[in-house]
Amino acid sequence: MTAPSRTIAFTLNGRPVTAEVAPHHTLIEVLRDGFGLYGARESCGQGLCGCCTVLLDGRGVSSCLYLAVFADGAELVTVEHLAAGGELDPVQEAFIEAGAFQCGFCTPGFVLMTKQLLDEHPDPSDDQIRHYLSGNLCRCGTYPQIVEAVKLAARKRGSV
Amino acid sequence: MTPFELVEPASLGEALALLDPDDPAVRPIGGGTALMLMMKAGFFEPRRLVSLRGLGPGITGINEGADGALDIGAMVRLGQLERSPVIRRAAPVIAETLVTHSNVRVRNVATIGGNLAHGDPHMDLPPVLIALGAEVVAASPSGERRIAVENLVESYLETALGGDELITSLHIPSQRNRRAAYIKVTARSADDWPALGVAVSLAVENRAIRAPRIAIGAATETAMRLPKAEAALTGGASWRDTGREAAAEAPVIGDHHGSAAYKRVLVGVTVERALRRALAGVEIAG
Ligand SMILES: Cc1cc2nc3c(=O)[nH]c(=O)nc-3n(C[C@H](O)[C@H](O)[C@H](O)COP(=O)(O)OP(=O)(O)OC[C@H]3O[C@@H](n4cnc5c(N)ncnc54)[C@H](O)[C@@H]3O)c2cc1C
Ligand code: FES
Ligand code: FES
Repeated sequence: MTAPSRTIAFTLNGRPVTAEVAPHHTLIEVLRDGFGLYGARESCGQGLCGCCTVLLDGRGVSSCLYLAVFADGAELVTVEHLAAGGELDPVQEAFIEAGAFQCGFCTPGFVLMTKQLLDEHPDPSDDQIRHYLSGNLCRCGTYPQIVEAVKLAARKRGSV
Repeated sequence: MTPFELVEPASLGEALALLDPDDPAVRPIGGGTALMLMMKAGFFEPRRLVSLRGLGPGITGINEGADGALDIGAMVRLGQLERSPVIRRAAPVIAETLVTHSNVRVRNVATIGGNLAHGDPHMDLPPVLIALGAEVVAASPSGERRIAVENLVESYLETALGGDELITSLHIPSQRNRRAAYIKVTARSADDWPALGVAVSLAVENRAIRAPRIAIGAATETAMRLPKAEAALTGGASWRDTGREAAAEAPVIGDHHGSAAYKRVLVGVTVERALRRALAGVEIAG
């Protein structure tokens, strides 16, 4: 069966865009294949690892488990947008300064979940950090540095 | 995933008309987190999905009645429940349960209607909602009815809902003067799917336990109440003996999170712990 594609309109990294999508396309397919944004990666494909995290209306979603048509009308941010002004986001700076990655495959997801965390809890406790990031996996095991990076990011954002 | 048709009706009547009771390949879709997993695995190949996103405010709100009862629209996201000040005050056990439920991203997307209609026995909220005495409001072309959450799921992924019936909201009776607790036991990480979930809810009057409800999930074919353990507790049994009664009574089955024998031991211990947590700081006679 061929399903008819439809046009969806949304804001992608600050700019209004449209895309032709079929109902069975996932959001990550559209971001990678339609817009050449490769920061979100499909790894587990099951909502578990967080490598495909994007912010939809300010909150993290697994783009591997999200139908692209449901992004119609939404405001989407991918990791590519964080340094759009030419300067790194404080969360990105903090990850670099704390050495919170090795291969970097998981980093976009951790950075974006940290954005949601700090938007909701500007001065998070260790428990809140672990809670928000429990759905992100780092195969290189940089968890202690990631927790430090989140605290550093909170301090950087607090002092801006 | 295989191609399918996606329709986005703007009213409940339109949505019901787009469902097809004779075709299991036509399903409603809420957040899609459970459906997407099944579609990606090739376990479900829909012909048509009926999105409930356009159904309007009746299905997306959280309302508290004057008597303290809660009405929660089917499209309310789990994360919305977790953050809601109304839920945190009127039924805090729900917000506490959600902290170790899946992960933040799933909760940002998954809906309470989809959660309840999924019918997987390995879930956290069904035993909690059973212990709270909750009911779903379901609509079909022949009208509206209420189904107690304890009667909603009939067997693995099978519910009492008709093929052209939708959950429109969840009703939770007033929990004023009642206390509740949920304990999730996992075999791997804290936010894994539960190996066992135990929820208790009860009132305390004149230092005696009244109207207890004890429900378990993830260890039996469907989430269920344990009436013998409830009766034992009302009759004055200790928490430990209530746990023993629960372990003897529950038709426990094993899965890849643990054998039936292991889970049976867990039921006894966890019922006792859940009672202790719900009654922390309360004096009971006897
Ligand atoms: C990574 C991951 C981890 C998870 N971990 C846990 C966990 O720890 N504990 C736990 O309890 N659960 C867990 N889950 C399961 C999760 O709770 C469900 O996937 C989610 O609640 C389903 O909600 P949804 O809105 O996405 O449902 P959907 O996928 O949209 O729908 C699920 C089912 O309900 C039907 N449906 C949807 N809405 C309605 C309606 N209003 N009326 C009638 N039928 C409807 C659909 O047709 C489908 O059959 C996890 C899921 C994922 C992806
Ligand atoms: S790829 Fe989406 S969560 Fe792992
Ligand atoms: S840095 Fe390699 S997976 Fe996290």
